[in-house]
Amino acid sequence: MATTTAAVTLTSDLLSDAMSVSASTTCMKAGTTADGLDQMEYGVVEIATGTAYDIICSTPTASKASKLYIKNHSTDETYYISVVLDAQAVGRLYGGDWMFIPADFHDANADIEITSTGGTNIVEYALFHEGTILTAS
Amino acid sequence: MATTTATITLASTDLLSDELALTTTATLTGAGNSTGLTGTTGLGRKKLASGHAQYTLFDGNDYTANKAHKLYLKNTSTTAAEYFEIEVNSEQIGRIYAGDWAFIPWMANASTNDIKIDPSADDMVLEYMLFTDD
Repeated sequence: MATTTAAVTLTSDLLSDAMSVSASTTCMKAGTTADGLDQMEYGVVEIATGTAYDIICSTPTASKASKLYIKNHSTDETYYISVVLDAQAVGRLYGGDWMFIPADFHDANADIEITSTGGTNIVEYALFHEGTILTAS
Repeated sequence: MATTTATITLASTDLLSDELALTTTATLTGAGNSTGLTGTTGLGRKKLASGHAQYTLFDGNDYTANKAHKLYLKNTSTTAAEYFEIEVNSEQIGRIYAGDWAFIPWMANASTNDIKIDPSADDMVLEYMLFTDD
């Protein structure tokens, strides 16, 4: 079994008391404690302004415990990528921002779409999953 | 100006032939500027009582639209099969199983753009925090 851990630390001085929140999880297959996610896609792409693209071109198995990491490497604070799931706007990643979300690809329309705004954004992504439907050649 | 940072580390020694050790830190700033995010709900916990119906965690109408809000969620359950389904409006994003966490950009672009959670079992506890760009 592959063991992949995902850890986060959030720090802030927004409150009167300095805040530091940490969490760590081992990325497991759906509903198990014995079998870790053992497949991944990892890449970097340049996304020109305008068109929406599916960041994951394959079709991961639906309703599992897949995890998706995306980072916008732009250094221009006005550049961002919009993250949309089946026509539902989720959020924006501005230059330097990252996200880590569960992605259950629950049906054929549940693609993760990204659109670049402001200019060409360099986007790093990693999908940890437990199976995908490959496109027949 | 307040400074809020978010650091992620993804690590594995046996998923690939080469060790995976990815770490990055983002300083959370407002939409299109370098000013630190100005608001937070603070860290909170909710226990979802019996009946485990869908629950609106944050209402899109309550936050400025098309901004750089960030949301942290964690499923504190230790029962492997228990998960929270996370939804925006009525669109399923995915499931966080026991111990899993998520860090999600949220643009609150419409009054219907609510963050909803749907626990798979009774009495599950969700930990959450929203950083807002007002």
